[in-house]
Amino acid sequence: MAALKKSFQIKSRDFIHAGEASISVQNMLKQIGIAPALIRRVAICAYEGEMNAVMHGENGKFRIEVNTDKIILDISDEGPGIGDIEKAMEKGFSTASEDYREMGFGAGMGLPNMETNADRLDIESEKGQGTRVVMRFSLPPGSRENKTGQSA
Amino acid sequence: MIGEYMTFQVDKCTGCAHCVKACPTRAIRVRDHKAVHHPDLCIGCGECLRVCPEGVIQSNVESQFPLDPDKTNAAIISPALYSQFPDTMPCDVLRAVKEMGFDHVVDLSFHLEMFQFAVERFIAQNRQNRKAPFPLISPICPVVTRLIALKHPTLLDNILPIRRPAVMIADDVRKKLQSMHHITASEIEIFHITPCPSKALSQEMVLKDEIGSVDRTIGINAVYPELCKHVEDIREMELDIYDTDPFANIPNARGPMWSKSGGEINPLRAEGLLAVSGLREIQNCLEKIEMGVFDDMNYIELRVCPQGCLGGPLTAVDRHMAKQTVQNLVRTFGVNRRLPPYKLQRLYDRGWFFANIRPSDFTDYYPDQRQALTIDQMQEIENLLSLLPGINCAVCGAPDCRTFAEDVVRGRARRSDCFRIREIDNSKEGNT
Repeated sequence: MAALKKSFQIKSRDFIHAGEASISVQNMLKQIGIAPALIRRVAICAYEGEMNAVMHGENGKFRIEVNTDKIILDISDEGPGIGDIEKAMEKGFSTASEDYREMGFGAGMGLPNMETNADRLDIESEKGQGTRVVMRFSLPPGSRENKTGQSA
Repeated sequence: MIGEYMTFQVDKCTGCAHCVKACPTRAIRVRDHKAVHHPDLCIGCGECLRVCPEGVIQSNVESQFPLDPDKTNAAIISPALYSQFPDTMPCDVLRAVKEMGFDHVVDLSFHLEMFQFAVERFIAQNRQNRKAPFPLISPICPVVTRLIALKHPTLLDNILPIRRPAVMIADDVRKKLQSMHHITASEIEIFHITPCPSKALSQEMVLKDEIGSVDRTIGINAVYPELCKHVEDIREMELDIYDTDPFANIPNARGPMWSKSGGEINPLRAEGLLAVSGLREIQNCLEKIEMGVFDDMNYIELRVCPQGCLGGPLTAVDRHMAKQTVQNLVRTFGVNRRLPPYKLQRLYDRGWFFANIRPSDFTDYYPDQRQALTIDQMQEIENLLSLLPGINCAVCGAPDCRTFAEDVVRGRARRSDCFRIREIDNSKEGNT
């Protein structure tokens, strides 16, 4: 079965290149004719996940897999981990430092945004061990082949 | 080769590939040492004509403009024109244009103010209930609209559905002239003097096959030499602040300011505004908007030309000098509002400001969006990319290795066009 896989290394605290993996994923999905509304959802999730790995993580890995029926985003790092996942899912909860807040981050919408936009969100995390976020998006049959005339 | 916006006179082309690399939509290739332009993908930004060392590429905006004496000729002035003449009153610039033989010259300041009023109202009415997608994107730069249609169709709905000032005014002027001189619409010729190479004006939302409300467009650089002489003459004359042309308006500095990046949003009474200019910056910004980074912003002004319209390819003076001229004009003439809000509100409530065409009508407008790659083809591109040198040398005729790989997979180029692939293939043959 046709599958497209691509992976990126995410450098910790590298704000110059932060977001490039997400942009590259976005462009790739556009080229294979994924419906614009779905691309937008994937892009938002990819960016939130990538930024988390840049800001909090070490040794981040960003993987994407596109199959005929689904897209999987798998973003992992070896950072501090999430202490209380349930708490982290609450809107407005953030552990971002003052510095990050000044840069415009830390609104506490990262994980809630991912949950809203992904069809399925799985988080594995242990304090001090790192975090792995896996997001799945299903591709409705025929959504790719015949998109002309459908609006987002 | 004549495209919608640009013409390539390839006999002079040396195949240097500067334009190939400058094109943001990858619409140009070199084949047999000549540039090949794919007008299907052209958004009219003019980056190619900025970099061409041989003068092969020309904008389809006119550089010759014999006026038809049997017609009533009116010239709508792009606000960027004022930025080209330091220490000159805007009304004197208008007078100089009239000296060139136009029956009327039309200043945009009032319509800019009207447009800006409509932006404020639209934000106020739609922000809370989120009836429109935010951030809203300015509809002013036609190249931005096309770039969005081509590369970011999800953002088409974010484009503010308000008619552009130059479109509003062209309709107004035509009607007004008809009743003033008792003539028919066809006896009027409306010109637009513009810094923009992309035939900017059209009826509503500026995609390419719409009927223009302006009859002819002329580049600022084409009128500049003659205009300079008239401006010189007028500067020698006594101060004259009265003008007899009903369309000349005694402009303030709202127009000049508009032509500078940020000049559209700075006078707005609203929060959450952003101005971005320059092609690379805009591409970056659009990607961020798509990823939700600017969801809290209300309105984003985007101008493809560096520093705004006064940096357009068809201007005549250095854009940094033009910027300084604008700053001086703002200091002298100010950007005060001059129209009564209740009258503007009445127009707004009547729907007068709104465009008929929704930009989302242009989803799937460009051919490459209709010909999506399959997942297998995409994987093939990735595989091929791992063999390519990755230095984006453009010797193969494509702007970069990724585009070359895509061309090969789409059957538009041969593998052997790449020197590295030739080396690999040759050494394989040598081994067997």
